[in-house]
Order: sequence, then structure tokens, then C-alpha cells
Amino acid sequence: MADKRSLPALTHLQFLVLGVIRHDEQPGRVIRQTLAAYGVRRTAPAFYQLMSRLESSGLVSGRYEQVVVGDQAVTERRYRITAEGSRMWARAQDFYAEVGRLAAVRWSNA
Amino acid sequence: MRRRARLLARWLPAEAAREWFLPSLSDLEVTWATRRANHPRLGWLTGIAFVCGALMLWVDCLRLAAIAALRANRSVPPSAAHSREYSAMLIRDIRHALRLFRRDPVFSGAAVLTLALGIGANTALFAIVEAVLLRPLPFASDEVMVLRYRDTRTGQSKDFVAQGDVVDMRARQQSFEAIVPFNNVEAALIVDQEAIRVEGLNAGHELFRALRVEPLIGRFFGPEDMREGAADIVVIGHSLWTTRFGSDPAIVGRSIQLGTTRRMVVGVAPKGFRFPPAANTDVILPMRLPAAAPAERRNWIHAMARLKPQTTAAQANAELAALSRQFEADFPATNTAIQYDALTVRDAMVGDTRRALLLLLGAVGFVLLIACANVGNLLIARSLARRDEMTIRMALGAGRGRLLAQMLIEGLVLAAAGGAAGIALAWKAAPALAALVPQARPIPGLTDVSLNASVLAFSTVVSLAAALLFSGLAAYGLTGSTADAAATRRTTASAGARRAASMLVAAEVAIAAVLLVGAGLTLKSLANLMTIDPGFHADHVLNLQVALPPGRYADAKARRDVFLRALQALDAAPGIEAAGAGVVTPLTGNNWSIPLQRPERPLGPGERAPDVGWQLASAGYFRALRIPLRSGRLFEDRDGPDAPPVVIVSESLANRFFPGENALGRRVVLGDGTAEIVGIVGDIRRASLDDAPRADMYLPFERDQSNSVGLFVRTSGDPAAAFSNVQTALRRIEPRMVFYEARTMDDVAKESAAVTQLAMRLLTGFAGVALVLAAIGIYGVMSYSVRRRTREMGTRLALGASRSDIVRLVMYQAGAVAGAGLAAGLLAGLVAARMLGTILYDVPPWDPIVLSGAAGILLAVALVAGYLPARRAAAVDPARTLTVE
Repeated sequence: MADKRSLPALTHLQFLVLGVIRHDEQPGRVIRQTLAAYGVRRTAPAFYQLMSRLESSGLVSGRYEQVVVGDQAVTERRYRITAEGSRMWARAQDFYAEVGRLAAVRWSNA
Repeated sequence: MRRRARLLARWLPAEAAREWFLPSLSDLEVTWATRRANHPRLGWLTGIAFVCGALMLWVDCLRLAAIAALRANRSVPPSAAHSREYSAMLIRDIRHALRLFRRDPVFSGAAVLTLALGIGANTALFAIVEAVLLRPLPFASDEVMVLRYRDTRTGQSKDFVAQGDVVDMRARQQSFEAIVPFNNVEAALIVDQEAIRVEGLNAGHELFRALRVEPLIGRFFGPEDMREGAADIVVIGHSLWTTRFGSDPAIVGRSIQLGTTRRMVVGVAPKGFRFPPAANTDVILPMRLPAAAPAERRNWIHAMARLKPQTTAAQANAELAALSRQFEADFPATNTAIQYDALTVRDAMVGDTRRALLLLLGAVGFVLLIACANVGNLLIARSLARRDEMTIRMALGAGRGRLLAQMLIEGLVLAAAGGAAGIALAWKAAPALAALVPQARPIPGLTDVSLNASVLAFSTVVSLAAALLFSGLAAYGLTGSTADAAATRRTTASAGARRAASMLVAAEVAIAAVLLVGAGLTLKSLANLMTIDPGFHADHVLNLQVALPPGRYADAKARRDVFLRALQALDAAPGIEAAGAGVVTPLTGNNWSIPLQRPERPLGPGERAPDVGWQLASAGYFRALRIPLRSGRLFEDRDGPDAPPVVIVSESLANRFFPGENALGRRVVLGDGTAEIVGIVGDIRRASLDDAPRADMYLPFERDQSNSVGLFVRTSGDPAAAFSNVQTALRRIEPRMVFYEARTMDDVAKESAAVTQLAMRLLTGFAGVALVLAAIGIYGVMSYSVRRRTREMGTRLALGASRSDIVRLVMYQAGAVAGAGLAAGLLAGLVAARMLGTILYDVPPWDPIVLSGAAGILLAVALVAGYLPARRAAAVDPARTLTVE
């Protein structure tokens, strides 16, 4: 219960990134586009710096995959969430759900 | 390109390269590959965008790495306060850089001037490339194409389509929304009793829809206007509407007199509407095509077309090729070896100029590279003086990244100043350069060259790239040396700095060699072109077009009589030796042709008569241009339209079609009858100077039915100055005669070699700048080297070396650097020369005179630049140098 009461370890941005890849592996540029849709505009190197930190923290794992575009073979960096990342994301989601529930039920009656 | 972009990672810290730069570059590659697949025609443009994008990613990674390094050094968490601190640090660095440059105005001035030259030249040339090749054409996207035909027997292409073929193509094709016939027209508009010459086109009613244009007021043509017996109507251009009709909205429905016909104005085209895009479009008249293809398929017209959505140009051309084969099979007498294709309006209008412009853009890029190398060298040389400053900074805790960041800031400040000066230079240079671009035919955008947002963005990217390049070069030269110097208190540069400086100079020499080879080849080509005998004498000849007042000479005989009287008046005028008339002006790219056939040798089934060039000319035309009469006679008054038809042929025609015979007195098929060959004249180069003489047939000018004609006037003095005399003489015959396009034939000849001349002028200019910069580079490095080795020189002299030994030693070093650069440059020049392609005339890319000349000039410059420091080295006083240190 004490755990549930503590603030989540993930920032909003990390929560968003992990949310994007929670079910499927995604290319970096797709994750970046999703962030942009939420108003988080980062240059590509700044975005990959963020992803690199998440990777170092063991929350995501990245790999290169070759894709063919037109007549060109190019590689793209793809990311998937790790077990630790899923656990952290679920805890953060529980936290927000709990706070939302409490806000709706208890504090509104206060 | 992609592999090279990945090499940028080498100049980043390992983590930044692996974790930030390479994945970002991968994303950029995906974007680039997608654009390339969707827009294959913009291949090189997406390439440039990719390179610029990769550079920007690299800079961003460098920025992030610097911030990360600073945070790591201070072991404090990032915060807004730190962001402010970074900003303050940036401002401090910029101020520091400005103070440094103010303290050393000679260095700063030299660096800024060098960069301004490089960036300014690049900006000016890019402004032209942007206006001509990149800026969207009004009303004509890449889906709008023009059709042309190519004779596979002669390789000649013309922007024409046979009228009958257009009719059949329209019925059978699937690739285009519409194929629209059009022709250029000139007419006289009568306003208030005054005749004004207007230009425009006859066009099919689909023209406006194909161009996606809506009328400003009124309407455009519809299918009902194309029917036989429909009313005579006209759409007028916006410019004509505003200048001649006072922007009167009630113009629609009014009748205007155009030539001999009254036409009702049905609409006004929107502002800026021109078709073809660089032409004047004052009036647009309906062009009516027959419903079925006529039996006579040799009536040539222009045609434009708009691709259907989802159809590519390649697919359309494949269909046109198939249709051409069908026509060839169905109409062998007219269509044998005739192949139709379509190309974009821009490609059709820009022609060879595209290649020359891109080539020159590449060449001017080389000049910028040399400028960067020189500034890099200046920075390396100056770093010696700043060694103490750097060691103190390091001793106080500044990391290597911090020093590199500071150097980068200094480079950016220099590049900003050089870029600003370069833009100011380009502001004046761009229009001047545009004026040099030849316009054998009007080129869209060339009159509207400006430093717009795209050009300024290009200039900014170039300045940024230049800053990165020369700062990087300087940083490479200093790598490692500062730390060593801090430890040892050495006052000389490291081996890295010396090697970097020498490599830079060798690179400058190599690039200068490439430009010199290019300049030499184009110079020799131009010299070859200028010494070509075109088969006629262009000197002292004035060429002008004259038109009779519209409506006044409705009868062809009356028009002919006026022109004949005009020619007689000119012959009698003072200062005029000969005057003649001709429809085609030589050396203006005209390669109109007609089939030639001997009546006694009828064509076999499926055979097409060979084409020969044609000209309508008077006897005075040959005299004015001094085209020699080989045998027979020139045209005479008795060869009028009522007389038995006669022709004059060129020597080539006589030899080719009457081998072993005397062509005089023989007959050729002309229309429904035959004509007698009464004269044989010398060959001339008709289309251009580099076009080999071809078989030409001349018909008497008296057969011309038109209202205007070209005059050729040989004068005893300056032909340009004779224009007023010519005008006076002609106005005595017809006071309202209209004159236009007056120029000397010498100018026409020069215009014919204009693409080569442009390439020669600019390449020579660029090579000159490159040579000066390379000389400064060699001088700078050798001076620096001599200063560094003063003690060594003193020791050598003290031990018995003669002063000439010292000079030889230094010169050997200069020669080695220049020699290495020269060898690489000549090899690269050989490769680059192949790209000059059609710009060269009668000069192989490996021309030994050009190569040896370039090598000689560069070596001479290198030796002179090396000799001055060598003399200074030899003048060292051994006693003083050995006691000073």
C-alpha cells in the first residue's frame, strides 16, 4: 500500500514513450512522431538521447532492422519495452488510476 | 553519400555517435529514400537536402555532447538555471570571439573577405539555379509537358509535331488528360489608328484547363468556339489589358482589330499568365484542328499536354514511342524515322543551360572549399599565438570539449560575418551573372533572379557548413598539441598542425588545378569556336526584323513589292554595301527542313525523302553575308512567283544528292511540281557554330507571303551605328514600318557560342580566385614554417650551409606540397573534364596543352609563393638566432 502511495518513478514523457511501445515494437521515428502529436517536439538527436537513457535504465531495448524504401535498403532503429519497462509503466498507470479514482470519489465529497 | 555521412560520426564522442547520431541518420535516410522514390526527378535535390540534414544532425549531436560534458564535469543536475548559464556562456564566447577578431583586424579581414568571396559566389550562382531550375513555373508543373519530334536518321530534335499526327495522337493516347495544339503568333493590334505589335498564341480550347488557369474576367474558349464558322474571338493577356485598355472590365464583349480581322474579346487572362512561361502572351486565339487527320501530315505545329494523375512521364513516353511506330507503319512517306517524345516545359525551355549551371555551381563550390581551407590555415597559423591562452584555459580546468566548442563559436562568428558580406556581394553579383547566361530561347525565371528566402536559406546552410569545415580543420590541426604544449611549454606547432596545414595547401592546389583545367578546356573550346569559319562573313552585317503595317498590304504582291523597293533603297543608301532578305537567321538554332527528292528517282513504297535545310532568300542575302557562289547564278528579279520555279543549293547538297554529276540545271521536287537548280553556293553552319555544315536549299525570297522578313545589311562602317540610316531609308518607302530584334551578326555568332563562353568566363574567374587563394595558402604555410624553423636555419648556416642551400631547402618543401596537390588535382581534373561534355568543342578532356599549361601556371605560382619565405629564411643571422633562444 505504501508503494501505491509513492509517486511514480516515470516522468510524463517516459510514461508516454513506454505507452507507445507497450504492445508493439516501433521504429524510433514513429515514437518521435507520436511525441510530436502530443506537442513534445525534439530534434532527432535529442529524442535518441532520451531513448538511450531509457535503454540504459533497462526500460526499453533497441535494435536496428533493415527495411527497403523504394530501391534503397536502409536501416532503422526499433524499440520494444522490456519487462522492467512494462512493470514501471503499469505502476505509473495504477498510480494515475488510483489518484483519479480517489479524486472522483473521496476528495470531491470532502 | 550515405556512407560518407556516416563518417561524420568519427568526429563525435563515441556515445553521441552511437546512441544519438547514427539512429537519427537512419531516420534521415528513410525520409530521403521515401522522397527519392516518390520524386525520382528531384534525385540530386533530395541528395543536397540529405547532406544538409546530416550536417545539421551532426551539429545538434555536438551541441548535446557539449552540454552533457559540461553537466558531467560539474556533477550537478540539469536545471533551468543551468540552461541560462549555457546561454550566458554562449554569449561570453561570442563576445570573446568578437574581441579577438577586433584585436587582429588583418587576420579577421582576410578571413572574412575570403569567406565572403566563396559564400557570395555560391549564393549568386545558386540564386540563378533557384530561379531557373528550382522555382515552380507559373501554371506549368512537371505534369505539363511539351511534345517534340526526333529524326532518328539525323539525330535532330524539334519542338514540333505534325498536325495530322496530333489529331491521331489525341484520338488514340491514354496517358494525357489532353494534348493541346498551339502556335506562337505575332499580330498587329490597331488601337486608335495606331498599330501595336503583340505576341501570343493560337491554342486549342483545352489549354487553360490543362494549365489549371481561370480567367480574370470573362471566359476562355470552349469546344463550341472551335467549330467551323464560329465567331472570331480572342482572350487578351493581363498586361495588354492594363496597358492598352486601362483595365476596363467592360472590355469583354468589345471587338478589337487584330491584323485584318475584328475579334470579340471574350476574356482576360490572369495576371502573370504566360505560355510558354518566358514568352509574352498578349493575345490567345482559338486554334481549330480538323476532326480527322489531313492526308498531308507535314503541317508542323507545337503541342503541349498534361499527364493524367498517376501517370509518369516514362509511361507517357513509352506510349508516344508506340504511337510513333504506328504512324511510321501507317504513313511511311512522312513518318519514317520520326520518333515523338514529351518532356517537361522547364526541360524544354532550359535545354543545355541546365548542365552548364549545375556544372558551374559545382565549380563555385570548389572555390568555397578553397576558401574554407585557407581560413582553416589562417586559424591554425594564428593558434600558435594563442597557445599560451589555451594552455592557461586548460590549466584552469577547461576540458578539450570546451576548447573545441569555443573554436566552433569563433568559426561561426567568422562565418556569420563572411556570410553577411557574401550575401551583400551576391545581391549585386546575381543579376550581373544572370545577364551572362545565354538566352538562345527565353529561359523562365532568368529575369527574376533574386535573393529570396530559399537562396538566403542556402546561403545560411553554406555559411554553417563552411564554419564547421574550417573550424573542424583548425581543430584537427590543434588536436593533441595544446596538451603537449601545456606540458612542455613548446612555442612551436605540433606535427599534427604542420601536417594539417600542408594537407590543406595541397588540397587547395588540387582544387585550383581542377578549376584551371576546366577553365583551360573551355577557353580552348571557345577559341576553337571563334575560329570556325561559318561559311559566311558575320562582320559588318546588321540583322533586323521588319514588319509592314498590318492591314495596309493585304495582297501578297503588294507586300513583295514593298520589300523589293526597300531592298533597292538600302542598296542605294550611303554606307551600305549590300542588303538582302532572308527568313531564317543563321546561327540561331534554327534547323527547319524540307524533304528533298529528285523527280527522276521516285521514292519506293514506305520510303521517306531525306530532309534538307531550307531558306527563303534574296540575292542580296548571299552578297550581304558573302556566301560564295560556286557556280551558276544567284536569284534575279525574273525569278518571281509567276516565273518557272528555281532554287539554289549548297555544295553539300549538290555533292550528296548529285554525286559525280553537275547539279546545275537539274530539277528537284518542290510542292506539286519541280524547280530547277540555278546556282550552287558555299556551305554555311546554319543552326550554330558547332553544328556541322549541312545540305541546304534556298528558295527565292519573292515566294514569301508573310508580312515580316529578316534583313541582312552589310555596311562599310560599324553595323550597329548604321541602324538609324537603315531605318531612315526604309521609312522613306513605308513610314509605318515596324523594326525589331536589330543586332549585328557578330553578336549572333557570339550568342551561338554563349554557353561555352559563360562556362569559360566563370570557370576562368573561379580558377583565378582559386589560384590567388592557393598562392596565399602556400605563402602562409611556408612563412609559418620558416618562422618555426628559424633556429634550425641559423644552425644550418652556422654549420656551413650556404644561403642558396637554405633557399633550395625551403623551395623543395613548397614544391613537394604543391607537387602532391598538383598530381591529385590533374587526375581529378581529368575526371571532372568529362562532365563538361557538350560544352567543349574540338578539345579532348585530356588535352595535353591544357593539362601542361595548368600544371605550369600552378607550379610557377607555388614557386613564387614559396620563394619569398625562402629568401627570408636565407637572410637569417645565425649569430642572433642561436643566442636569442
